Amino acid sequence: MNDDIILQTDHLSKSFFKYQVLTDVNYQLMRGMIAAIIGPNGAGKSTFFNLVTGYHTVSGGNVFFKGQEITNWARHKIAKIGITRAFQVSNIYPKLTTYENVRQSILAQQKRTLNLFIPAERLAKQETLDLLEITGLSGFRNTEAGILSQGDKKKLELALALASKPDLLLLDEPTAGMSSEETHETMQLVKRLNKEIGLTILFTEHDISVIFGYAQKLSVLHQGILVAEGTPEEVRQNKEAQACYLGEEI
Amino acid sequence: MEFTFLFSQFMSGLTYGLMLFLVASGLSLIFGVMNILNFAHATLWLIGAYICFTFWSLMEAHQFALWVSIPLAALATAATGWVCEVVLIKRIYKRELHEQLLITYAMALIFGDLIKIVWGPTDRLIVRPSIIQKPLFLFGAPIDSYFIFVILIGVAVAVGLWWFLKYTKYGHIVKAAVYSREMVGALGIPIPKIYTWVFTLGIFIAGLAGGVQSAIGSVTLGMDMNIIIQAFCVVVIGGFGSLMGTLVGSLIVGEVFSFAILYWPDGAMVLIFVITAMILIVKPWGLFGTPLRA
Amino acid sequence: MDKKYIFIKRFWLPVALFFIAIILPFVVSEFWVHVFNEILILGLFAAAFNLVFGYMGQLSFGQAAYYGIGAYTTGLLMVKLQWPLFACLPVSMLTAGIGALILGYFCVKLRGIYFAILTMAFGQLVFFIIFQWYSFTGGDNGLQGINPPEWLFKAIPYYYFSLAVVTIGMIILYFITESPFGYTLRAIRDNTERTEFIGINVQRYMLINFVISGMFCGLAGALWGPFNRSVAPDLCGWQHSGHPVFMAVMGGPHHFLGPMIGSVIFTFLNAFVTGFTEYWPLVSGLVIIVVVLVMPGGVFGIIKEKGYFSPRDVGDVKNE
Repeated sequence: MNDDIILQTDHLSKSFFKYQVLTDVNYQLMRGMIAAIIGPNGAGKSTFFNLVTGYHTVSGGNVFFKGQEITNWARHKIAKIGITRAFQVSNIYPKLTTYENVRQSILAQQKRTLNLFIPAERLAKQETLDLLEITGLSGFRNTEAGILSQGDKKKLELALALASKPDLLLLDEPTAGMSSEETHETMQLVKRLNKEIGLTILFTEHDISVIFGYAQKLSVLHQGILVAEGTPEEVRQNKEAQACYLGEEI
Repeated sequence: MEFTFLFSQFMSGLTYGLMLFLVASGLSLIFGVMNILNFAHATLWLIGAYICFTFWSLMEAHQFALWVSIPLAALATAATGWVCEVVLIKRIYKRELHEQLLITYAMALIFGDLIKIVWGPTDRLIVRPSIIQKPLFLFGAPIDSYFIFVILIGVAVAVGLWWFLKYTKYGHIVKAAVYSREMVGALGIPIPKIYTWVFTLGIFIAGLAGGVQSAIGSVTLGMDMNIIIQAFCVVVIGGFGSLMGTLVGSLIVGEVFSFAILYWPDGAMVLIFVITAMILIVKPWGLFGTPLRA
Repeated sequence: MDKKYIFIKRFWLPVALFFIAIILPFVVSEFWVHVFNEILILGLFAAAFNLVFGYMGQLSFGQAAYYGIGAYTTGLLMVKLQWPLFACLPVSMLTAGIGALILGYFCVKLRGIYFAILTMAFGQLVFFIIFQWYSFTGGDNGLQGINPPEWLFKAIPYYYFSLAVVTIGMIILYFITESPFGYTLRAIRDNTERTEFIGINVQRYMLINFVISGMFCGLAGALWGPFNRSVAPDLCGWQHSGHPVFMAVMGGPHHFLGPMIGSVIFTFLNAFVTGFTEYWPLVSGLVIIVVVLVMPGGVFGIIKEKGYFSPRDVGDVKNE
């Protein structure tokens, strides 16, 4: 297998009871790319993420990460080998402060969570503050995460994912619920991370401007089938992709 | 060992299993619909037994005393349950798990002491009517003739519940409530009303079981705690909210207990726990349960 | 902020409580020294329980099992083998921890109400084993004659001994709750799913915590036998498992000292009520109902609501 392929799926399928939600998806993602999976609601984008990250069990096919098969691994194992995700609906620790949220994820990445006797507040101070700074949450570090605004929760969601220092970051609608200004900031951050540390990013998105503004590769899912793939320009010209969006201008 | 001996042991296991089913089915029904674990369920069962004794002692002279006392005890216990629901349980529908559990735990403590206050610490024994004093012989094995009655009641309640859930309008509503509260709410049925009646029904079955129990042997303080723990094992084995699971679980526990007590009396209870743990390893949600609610 | 100031702000309450506890025997009668001893032991029990409940967010209704294992380990070692009390305490923690490891292995596979039921059922399992194993545990007669050494025999010396052990135990527990492990428990409580996705093996952490909790329950139990001069199977029973639940709820499960404060209230009430009536379960049941209906956050919940503590600040005061 090619070393540059970070994520690969072979005939990945998922069915819930009788519903086939993902069928034979063969997908490849090159290291260092920003790629997007697009498609209408219910096309199977979230399911794809869920299968790759071990959230749901795979019904058929295989998932490979850096050449290693990871099909149906436990969630925490997948997270440990370098795939992290940020959720569509923000999935944070509502009763902990923003600072504690981020620190928790950093400590998990540093494998220090089994430490029983050093006060947590003495650990990972700088890393936590840095990450809060990068994601623009410094002002809220002492706020209980549960009362943050939707947009800030999404930023925190991203911060939690970044704290894991992943090789591959999956973002499920990273800018949903954000103002257009916040959207721009967040995507700029994603782009910067990609450039500076070579983080591979795969995201789903509804916002057309985000998709075409940032993705280097687009894959179109429709009713659980991968119907088109290519650069944004290629996909824009693709008849099948256009058909999926049924007249919607893409 | 002789067949007749094993057969009578089997019958006593069946009786015990169905008695457990009567307690566990109400417990499981209440949990399935209301998501509340009623710690006091077996204590109400014991109250049913004591009430039955009291009714019986009022009519002691008559042969029919027991047969009248059992339904009266069931009704009186159901009324107690109804009061508990309206006064107490109603206030904790939306509370957290530990608060709900603490409330029913408190109910168990209170009712346990109330039994002590009302009936005192002495054991109570009902003198059976003559018709069930002599054993019956089935396949040459002597069977306590009252066991047949207990088994009939157990089967009747099982069939009745199954029919109720499957074929009646209210049964459908109750079943729907197990799966989706929102759906029932959307049908325009007031949820609190359903809860009240489900709770009362569950306690009614417990009271009925208690009444039936009162003539099996003497009624003593503390019986309830053995039963409630075994009923927990039953629902864990069978899976919460599944009538079939509760029945199968009850019969497993009843028979295992009945035979284990022959060979290893001290270990009978332990064996039940071991079985419960083993089933949990293989099927965390019980034999017939579904992982609907975590 | 000044470091000294932060320290005072965070620790004035436990330090004050500790000094009050030291002075108490000089002020009150011997009966109340016994009551305070009980408060300490049950407070440690409740604080250990709260590791699973308040911090990890799972309700165990069977922690009395590990309390009982600890109590019986010390009782048996002291009565049958004449071991010194000091040696019994760590061994009791060990046996209780092993018990929690074996039973907890199954429990941590479940969550929520299923977790509660299974812990409760396993608690009763331990109760039945102790209850029926006459030759070893003395069955329902319990074990008598668990006498502490000469110099601890009187109420006041034993009280100070308990105070020392409980204080050390509480300090260790406090360190654990403030450690990265402690915060991982809070993370599991707040959002189990997310915790898996940041690469944490949730079941393993739950099990480790269950064992730690069991060990400290066992330590509390180990103090009980010599204090009471005897142990009985009731110590592992369902009623006893309910006590730490109620203490934690009454004091406030989201504050480290909540369970200890709950123990103060509960044990005082017990001592007071049993002076009048044998129907303590009835009274405690009524009190539980009132507390749950009227003050769901416990004592510390109310204090927090009224704003007596400032909001949380990193490196500042913690309400958790």
